[in-house]
Amino acid sequence: MSNIDPILLSVYARTFKSITDEMSMSVEKTARSPILCEAKDFVTGLYDAQGNMLEQTENLPILAFSLAPVCKYILEFFEGDINEGDVIFHNDVFSMGNQNNDVAVYKPIFLDGELVGWSAVKGHQADIGGNVPGGYNPDATEVWQEALRIPPVKVYEKGKLRKDVWGLIFANIRFDMVQHDMRAQMGACTVGERRLLELLGKYGIESFNAHKLALFDSTRQMMESEIFKIPNGRYSGEGMVYYDGHHLGSEFTIRVDIDVYDKSIKFDYSRTDAQTDGFVNGTYTSSASATILTLLQMINPDIPHNEGMIEPLEIIIPEGTILNASYPKATTFGNHLCPPNADAIMRALAPAIPDNVTAGWNNLFCSLTSARDEEKDDTYVDIFFMGQKGGSGGMKGTDGYDHIGMIDASGGMVDQDYEMFEQQTPHLLKKHEYTTDSAGAGQWRGGLGVETIYTMGSEDTQFVTFGDGDFEPAFGLFGGHDSTLNSIKLTYPDGTELVPLNKSLHKGVPKGTRYHQFAGGGGGWGKPENRDRDVLKDEVRNGIISEETARDVYGLEG
Amino acid sequence: MKIGIDVGGTFTDFFLVRDGEAPRIHKALSTPQDPSIAVIQGMTELAEMLDPPMSLEQFASELETIVHGTTVTTNATLTRRGAKSGLITTEGLRDALEMRRGIREEQYNNRYTNVKPLVERYLRAGVGGRLDRNGREVEPLNLEDIKAAIELFKAEEVKAVSICFMNAFANPAHEQAAAELVRELMPEAYLTVSTDLLPSIRFYERLSTTALNSYIGPILDHYLNQLVGRLSEISFNGILLIMQSNGGVMSPQVARENAALTLLSGPAGGPGAGHIYAKAHEYNNSLTVDMGGTSFEAALVVDSPIMVNDGVIDRHRIALPMLGIHTIGAGGGSIGWIDEGGLLRMGPQSAGAAPGPVSYQKGGTLPACTDANLVLGYLNPGFFAGGKMSLDVDAARAAIKEHIGDPMGLTIEEAAAGMYRINCNNMAQGVREITIKRGFDPREFPMIVAGGAGPIHSCLICSELDMPFMIVPRESSILCAVGMLMGDIKHDFVRTFVSPLEGADWDRLNGLIDSMISEGDKMLEEEGIPAERREAHVKFDCRYLKQYHEVSFVVPQDALKAGDAATIAQAFHAEHNRLYGYSLEDNDEEVQVEIINVRVQAVGITEKPEIATSAKAGSDPSSAQKGGRSMYIPEYNEFRETTVYDGHKLEHGNQLTGPAMIEQITTAIFVSADYDCVVDSYGSFVVYKKGREDLVSKTIEGGSA
Repeated sequence: MSNIDPILLSVYARTFKSITDEMSMSVEKTARSPILCEAKDFVTGLYDAQGNMLEQTENLPILAFSLAPVCKYILEFFEGDINEGDVIFHNDVFSMGNQNNDVAVYKPIFLDGELVGWSAVKGHQADIGGNVPGGYNPDATEVWQEALRIPPVKVYEKGKLRKDVWGLIFANIRFDMVQHDMRAQMGACTVGERRLLELLGKYGIESFNAHKLALFDSTRQMMESEIFKIPNGRYSGEGMVYYDGHHLGSEFTIRVDIDVYDKSIKFDYSRTDAQTDGFVNGTYTSSASATILTLLQMINPDIPHNEGMIEPLEIIIPEGTILNASYPKATTFGNHLCPPNADAIMRALAPAIPDNVTAGWNNLFCSLTSARDEEKDDTYVDIFFMGQKGGSGGMKGTDGYDHIGMIDASGGMVDQDYEMFEQQTPHLLKKHEYTTDSAGAGQWRGGLGVETIYTMGSEDTQFVTFGDGDFEPAFGLFGGHDSTLNSIKLTYPDGTELVPLNKSLHKGVPKGTRYHQFAGGGGGWGKPENRDRDVLKDEVRNGIISEETARDVYGLEG
Repeated sequence: MKIGIDVGGTFTDFFLVRDGEAPRIHKALSTPQDPSIAVIQGMTELAEMLDPPMSLEQFASELETIVHGTTVTTNATLTRRGAKSGLITTEGLRDALEMRRGIREEQYNNRYTNVKPLVERYLRAGVGGRLDRNGREVEPLNLEDIKAAIELFKAEEVKAVSICFMNAFANPAHEQAAAELVRELMPEAYLTVSTDLLPSIRFYERLSTTALNSYIGPILDHYLNQLVGRLSEISFNGILLIMQSNGGVMSPQVARENAALTLLSGPAGGPGAGHIYAKAHEYNNSLTVDMGGTSFEAALVVDSPIMVNDGVIDRHRIALPMLGIHTIGAGGGSIGWIDEGGLLRMGPQSAGAAPGPVSYQKGGTLPACTDANLVLGYLNPGFFAGGKMSLDVDAARAAIKEHIGDPMGLTIEEAAAGMYRINCNNMAQGVREITIKRGFDPREFPMIVAGGAGPIHSCLICSELDMPFMIVPRESSILCAVGMLMGDIKHDFVRTFVSPLEGADWDRLNGLIDSMISEGDKMLEEEGIPAERREAHVKFDCRYLKQYHEVSFVVPQDALKAGDAATIAQAFHAEHNRLYGYSLEDNDEEVQVEIINVRVQAVGITEKPEIATSAKAGSDPSSAQKGGRSMYIPEYNEFRETTVYDGHKLEHGNQLTGPAMIEQITTAIFVSADYDCVVDSYGSFVVYKKGREDLVSKTIEGGSA
């Protein structure tokens, strides 16, 4: 480590970040599915020759922490048969993928014939085969009912497209759009490759290797000093999952035991409930991602995201639990076990670091429609992002963020633009507004939830729900109150009302059906009577908090 | 006689051009409470500097044109002191403005709060009435709702009203009807109608832009009244033009109605001005950088300045076409600090003008970029601002030792060099944002360096990006004021026209474009531009069918008239390929191209002053030598004795070998070891990579001209 230039080290760190940011912009501007371009449900990353993370741009963090493990798995899988010009696809959840729909592209980067690194992009695809367009199949009990499995496969070999492999993959996926989106991801990998080679051309491979290790070291120290701020001890917490899609009234508990000792932290999920019969199951990487991203919410947000950040963490998730399903269980819902997982961690650490935890975040309750747009004579799939985004939890000194959405995205997932939504679906949006009194009351209130109403525009719409938060609201902390529940209701043109289960599929929903959703707020922190009175009066005037609540819950006089 | 006036936060810059004379530069202290005071004060001082001196009234009466750039709207937005505004929008959707599509820019930072909305929630009125995606009425407009909103606005003494309805881009009828009511019942209010300002698709972008316009409209209106009032007091009878964010100029009346067009009014002169110095070396492309006290701005010109439609100010979207000026927090005041991982960082926190860098001795205690430059020998402690201000080297050294050197185990010099290198790297990353990220190779551009602190750092920035050529104009410290006299009158129009390119209704499309062009003609006519000085440029925003974002590109005029979709598609493929590294032109299956927006820019060509040139005076610079001192040379990573020249004495053709330092009153130019320098016919300092004399063959001794 003697030849480390401390200044050049900063230059490397900055440049890695600018590379993954540039890759991210490339995907955003060239992809077609609104899930990628509008909701930014993708991540980009740069890795060294051994698959160690150099930097990532995590638009949606839940996808992020499975990229590096899969990169290492790919190296193992091909046993050294990695060549310049190869492009590898992967989504398989039984080889460290996080979700079937999240398909990754890996591109090995070579300098003078030697493997020096990898660029990778993982994005949520509009379809991935299986029984249901869009991939969310609450009836599924096995992976094959959910998706096409893609273990590591070379779609380009030494620079040549394998037409046969490409054809096989996309013969099993419903929408052409997915081909184009995978091309956009490959394009972004090329951007990353070019930029890394440029950097290596300037400073040389030896400098790169030495400084990379020094960077991991510096980041590890930073992470360790953050962990050191948490008092030593064992902290335990629970989060609840309601309904597995098969057994009405079923409930599952995520239990975490967190051991902090000086500079190390261990998350142990061994006491968590067993896996379910349905698709409400996590994979190791989706659950580990959930753990990491929740921890990152409680520490210095400036920490670089590289291998050094992960090193001090130990995460134990036994196979066969709801957080790490065994083969060949269905798992598409697994990403969405992040909110209850985060609940468990926040609850556990609240007594240890009360100033750095937030109260509960609104849990995701989302829906998806697919049908034929008669006027445009074309099919569509829409994941209704804007409706599901509730509030985050308050924390000491700061209110929760309004309409931010699930903690697994932490505000990285963007609402559809209203007019683009109406261009891309035949639906008519009637309402999308903050809900009065949806914030959990507190000295620092939770973020606001939203109310959404739209009218469906096609006959024979297939309607899917997936989520939670309709049984248990986001929790308050230290005297702060819980918030409001999630709910979805359909009213058919004939007046029939349907309150769908939180993981369900409905066919043949008629045109003119009214969709009505509430996404709840976040939990409050501290006693409501301590809330700043001027702020409160402003909120009453703006209709965010009702006069009754201000009087009865916050004790506002006059 | 013409004058460009750029009102900045600290100084108001003047650039005066008078027939038969070399242009004059002047700076006056700004007067933020009423910026027009500094404008008049500076003009008074300039009039006295003339030979023979003039009275202010005589000076004003001889002025033909004043072009004025202002930061009043930018500052009102950034300090959140805009007008109290009301919004009339579609029922059920009134929170879109505050939600900003539900994003939190800092994902892992739970202490990061949303930005205050431009219109408070109780003043955002959702009213009945609805159009569908094709502009067909689904529900008639509820005029009673609008009247109720107006009553509320009046009771709350709202000064500005915005109207933005869902799908109005496809049919403005509801917005126009609502506007009529507001004009009738609230005639004194500043009104912005979304489809008048920006009739294009994407609700949030249009809404945010509309609300911004209303937020700052009354502020600009008030300021223009002050300015026009003061100018008429001194009998100015010439033409007053206002700099706009697209690099063009406009009449005060157009500015009043479209206040949001002035949000980049200050820096917008830079790229156009920079380009003039590049053209002297036969470049059609240029990259202008401007490094001030707190920020670094970079912008590209490729034939004409690069425009963007995806601007953001204080986290609010502004979707009007603006120059693609990229700003990062790097400047002379950028503070050096060490993060928890032990890495050295620079900025974005800035010491600003107060307390300023440690060496200013105005109370600053944290080491800033300027302090490092002083330790490295780049700044002359006795000749800062021409000797008007003295710098404390010992204080700078002590602060760098305490905050950077000791914690990192580096000497003071090593720490200062580190600060310098990191700051240059940050700026180089900023340049990447506007070049590589937009598909341009920075090595093909000459870098035009502006701002007081710019030319100390430009060699290392260029070296990071492998750029071989840079130009530091004599006027570099007031470049934006120069640019104000170089701008044409420009008006941008956009309409959403969703259609496949192949098989588009060309008659209807050409009709739409013609109507946009004649709208522009009308405005130019009112601004006194004769027909022979008017031009119109047509652009389309297109995408591959089902792509989500569009690419803007210039449409060949002949192809447009002929409805030649294939030729237009080729132009689109080429631009997509340039931007993103691929196109689907040769794809196996047919991939359709779709039009989303049509854009017209109406241009009124103004008369521009010529910058005076001087004859060659030989290559020997020795008469300008004023001594030498030890300074840090990045290429050697050590201090060496370096020759210092008086920039004011260097003449056309003078050649210097790097490393060298050139001092002027307002700026210092560091030529590092890998570069040499020659003075060109404008008096600009042209700095080029050693061995690349080919880039300046016309300027150096024995060259062809």
